[in-house]
Amino acid sequence: MTAAWLGPATLFGLCGAALVGIGLFVVITHPGLLRRIVGFNLLGAGIFLVFGAVARRGAGAGFEGDPVPQAMVITGIVVAFSATALAVALLQRLFDLTGRETLEAQPEHLPRSEP
Amino acid sequence: MTPLAAAPAHVATPGGFLLVLAVMLPVVAVLAMLALGPRQTARIALTTLATGLGVAIAIVVELLRTGAALTYVVGGWQPPLGLALRADGLSVAMLAMTALVVAAIGFFAHAQHGLEPTTRHGRAPTTFWILLMAVWSALNAIFVGEDLFNLYVALELLTFAAVPLVCLDGRAETVAAALRYLMFALLGSLLYLLGTALLYGSFGTLDIGLLSEASAEGPGFSVALALMIAGLLAKAALFPLHLWLPPAHAGAPAAASAVLSALVIKAPFFLILRLILDVAPPQAAAYAGQVLAILGAASILFCSVMALKQARLKLMIAYSTVAQIGYLFIVFPLAAGSETLPPWGTIAWTGGALQLVSHALAKAAMFLAAGVIAEAFGHDRISDLGGFGRALPISAAAFGLAGLSLMGIPPSGGFVAKCLLLTAAVIGGHPWLAATILAGGLLAGGYVFRVVDRALATPAIPLAPRKPIPRRLELAALVLALAAVLLGLVPLQPFGFLQLGRPDSLTVIAP
Amino acid sequence: MTASGLLLAAAVLVPLAMAACCLSRGIRARAPFLLAAAPLPALLAAFLVPDGTFVFFPAPFRMSLVLDRPGAILLGGAALLWSAAGAFASPYMGRKPATVRFAVWWLLTLAGSLGVFIVGDVASFYLVYTLVSLAAYGLIVHEQTASAHRAGVVYVVLALLSEACLLLAFVMLAASHPDANPLIRDVVATLPASPMRDSIMALLILGFGLKMGLVPLHIWLPLAHPAAPMPASAVLSGVVVKAGVIGLIRFLPFETGVPVWGTVLIAVGIVTAYYGVAIGVTQTRAKTVLAYSTVSQMGLLAVLIGTGLENADTGATTLVAYYAVHHTLVKGALFLAVGILAATGGARLRPVLLLTAILALSLGGMPLTSGALAKLATKPMLGYGALGYAMTLAGVGSTLLMLHFLATVARDARQNPEASAPPGQVLPWLAVAAASLVIPWSLYPAIAGETVQSLFQAEALWKLLWPMALGGLAMIAVSRLPKLRGAIPEGDIVVLAEVGSPALGRLILGIQQADAALRRWPAAGLSLVTIAALLAGALMLGA
Repeated sequence: MTAAWLGPATLFGLCGAALVGIGLFVVITHPGLLRRIVGFNLLGAGIFLVFGAVARRGAGAGFEGDPVPQAMVITGIVVAFSATALAVALLQRLFDLTGRETLEAQPEHLPRSEP
Repeated sequence: MTPLAAAPAHVATPGGFLLVLAVMLPVVAVLAMLALGPRQTARIALTTLATGLGVAIAIVVELLRTGAALTYVVGGWQPPLGLALRADGLSVAMLAMTALVVAAIGFFAHAQHGLEPTTRHGRAPTTFWILLMAVWSALNAIFVGEDLFNLYVALELLTFAAVPLVCLDGRAETVAAALRYLMFALLGSLLYLLGTALLYGSFGTLDIGLLSEASAEGPGFSVALALMIAGLLAKAALFPLHLWLPPAHAGAPAAASAVLSALVIKAPFFLILRLILDVAPPQAAAYAGQVLAILGAASILFCSVMALKQARLKLMIAYSTVAQIGYLFIVFPLAAGSETLPPWGTIAWTGGALQLVSHALAKAAMFLAAGVIAEAFGHDRISDLGGFGRALPISAAAFGLAGLSLMGIPPSGGFVAKCLLLTAAVIGGHPWLAATILAGGLLAGGYVFRVVDRALATPAIPLAPRKPIPRRLELAALVLALAAVLLGLVPLQPFGFLQLGRPDSLTVIAP
Repeated sequence: MTASGLLLAAAVLVPLAMAACCLSRGIRARAPFLLAAAPLPALLAAFLVPDGTFVFFPAPFRMSLVLDRPGAILLGGAALLWSAAGAFASPYMGRKPATVRFAVWWLLTLAGSLGVFIVGDVASFYLVYTLVSLAAYGLIVHEQTASAHRAGVVYVVLALLSEACLLLAFVMLAASHPDANPLIRDVVATLPASPMRDSIMALLILGFGLKMGLVPLHIWLPLAHPAAPMPASAVLSGVVVKAGVIGLIRFLPFETGVPVWGTVLIAVGIVTAYYGVAIGVTQTRAKTVLAYSTVSQMGLLAVLIGTGLENADTGATTLVAYYAVHHTLVKGALFLAVGILAATGGARLRPVLLLTAILALSLGGMPLTSGALAKLATKPMLGYGALGYAMTLAGVGSTLLMLHFLATVARDARQNPEASAPPGQVLPWLAVAAASLVIPWSLYPAIAGETVQSLFQAEALWKLLWPMALGGLAMIAVSRLPKLRGAIPEGDIVVLAEVGSPALGRLILGIQQADAALRRWPAAGLSLVTIAALLAGALMLGA
């Protein structure tokens, strides 16, 4: 634990929490898919900050900073990047096919199997 | 802040390399497919399916031989710095089931691709094989993973492989369904990731074994665990988080639907099971189990009614999946265990595991049968399928047998599972859960019966397939359905195999 | 493994194997001819296997078979009717492609319906019981008419309900047992002391009562039995309902007795016995009249079972089986008679009608017939109080209903052209009719403990004759009321159930709307956050 109340770790943590909150809000409330993708990235960034805060606290190993969360953040960033790429690719495809970039236009919409 | 464990938490066992093989074999296949091009894809896939089945059998044999969990410590680095792979009885059962179902689905897909020789090496078949291998690898990684972050990566791999499976045909509806699936799954995985961050912050490790020994508690721990479980629920599509499942599973091609419904949603459930049983303290697990059981019961009742009202066969099967998943979640209060009896010694544990396996087999069989029906008649509107039993007797039989298992009619795996769960509910004094199990069986009877009734009908103009359906296309579904029925030969008691490798299991019972 | 054990197992396995053989094209063409042969192992077993035989098939089958006296009596009668009806079926059904399907369902139903009489453990009982319940659906809807379809739906719903009740009852029974699949006699021995005794008894009576057709759970019976092809109706009404009877015989604790539930069964039985008659006389179709007669007769059986349960009388089970086998053979023969009469006309009508009349009046207890024997044998058990009179009065009702049946078939057959039914149908019918006389006569001394001579005494004859005379008078009265005919639709109170369907429709619509609302993205996202919060709360509460 750092001695100061508002040490860098706590600050990181609070920032992370705020980002997570904003990201969650955007993802749940916005119908626009592009915005939702941005929201996911905000949410992800918040989580990575939390990881950073965790690393800063130094785990039980007695290091000044814990290296494991950093490895996790790097992995997480790669995963988040892939997720974003996949989502954008699918969205692009949807836009090409229908001209829409939302899913909520027909909430009851279920695909038919007939071509 | 908990210090690192002094003694190594995991000791590698001689058979541990088999676990790496199970995870890596499909990855190697994907690489080979990418390197050697579309013409070789199917051949590589079939070889991998056969080899993977062999590996799964070898793992089962090794577990039975040693009577202890298989463990592999990656690179010799002990957790919390390194990663461990571990497979106990339940994990091995999952691995074996996955190998069997994937092999059957692969057989079906190969037969189906063979129907149209012009597109046999086209984009869709090639993509399907690559994604199938990726899904398989991710599933195996989830079943043997011990590190919660490693499991996050495996879960994401699973999602990234499963989402494109939904929109293989590239139509707008399926792309929309895939996007909806991806979005909700991402929301779930980010919650899970947030949970792991908090967990690591509190305990300095994400190894399930170490966390279990640390007997962790505290508000941070509770929040972390709740976030992880909620995230996994989103991926498991438990009611009311099932928004993505019906369009995704119903829109995908039959083979892909079978993978998604039979296997992919089992992975998050498996992780929830591990979190609740291995990580959460018993008392907290009991309360969380109550919440999950309520959701599970709602899922059974609500989505069974929805399945009953669907006009399309595949949508009906998809809703039935959500309903059947509910049975898995009512296991938690039933398998609560006691001082003398750990959860995995209870009959509900065996019942839950059997439900998991028999549903996977039966649901894959149903989707494959529905695929044959759609292939033969060009649609899957239940009301227009009158008399399909005469045109496609094998598929109708496969559907009926799989339906027996879903309804819980003897002799079938589903019957033994539901009977064990019902017994646990009666003994444990859970009348509402007992009533739910029975009501779910009745409703399942209703929706299966609707289709069987159509199969037996004799319309004035007999239903004729628009193209000939080769026998081998229908066989995969029948084999899976028969496997689901044969599971019913399992005795009505705690099954020793599922307790192998569990900590403090009372005795190692030979199965 | 003894020879008797193998023979018992063959009783169930041979029909199943024959059903499996229908997968082969060559055998499929001859499928109709299998039907008469399939029940023969069971018939042999009923005669040859000694009472009290117990066989256990070890894992992975884990099935026990027992043959006791009630089981043997019912098995023999059922196998005989199945065999005769099977022989009747092959010329009746003709050589259509649908006949193969009919044969498969037939063989499956047959295996299950014979199985229930001989299995000894709880899980196997549930298995064969389910087999007979579900496979019978295929027989009911075989003709694919609208009425068959409606009957099939009602039947499946109620059959599944019966399964659910029984599964819960069996699980509750086995719950206190160390063995996961105990023997029926072991769990029944512990039933009276079980803390869940009353729930178990209620569920058992509900589940088996549904199968027997006890009021108000009888609604499927008058719909389903007439809808099936003639030979199938015969076995459905003659044998398949007996699955409920054997269930009650096997699972109720006759050794210790449970007076309360005995009284319940008696009350339900008497209501059913009268109700079946009252609705039956308003019916205009011969098969429906017979179905209502089955309802009424099952009521009488329920009274017998209830009396045994009330008095802790273990001998009651044999008497119940004796009464049941009389009903099996007579009702089977009557259904076949309807088929024969439909194909007979002119001068040949008279002898056929005469034999039909003898069979029909046997149900009313005509002297020297099996019905008379069954009534006389069970009389001492019922006593000579109010219950005895109530049962005699029910016999009056049976006579009335059977006279109504005879009037109906005679009227239907009057316009038939000069013809006679093919011998392939007449011979099986005659065989069942003869068996319905021979079997009860040969069993009577052992069952009733009286000599056959006692039956010819004037007192015994008087006891049987006055209810018949009263029944005849009632028939005259009823025939003066033409308005009665067709006054009540088939399946009577199923109409009430159908009135409730709009409410059900609204509920389902509500569920569909809720599903649509919950599957919207913001709602689902909010649900996710709420569930996370709930879980966190639950976990903190327990920490």
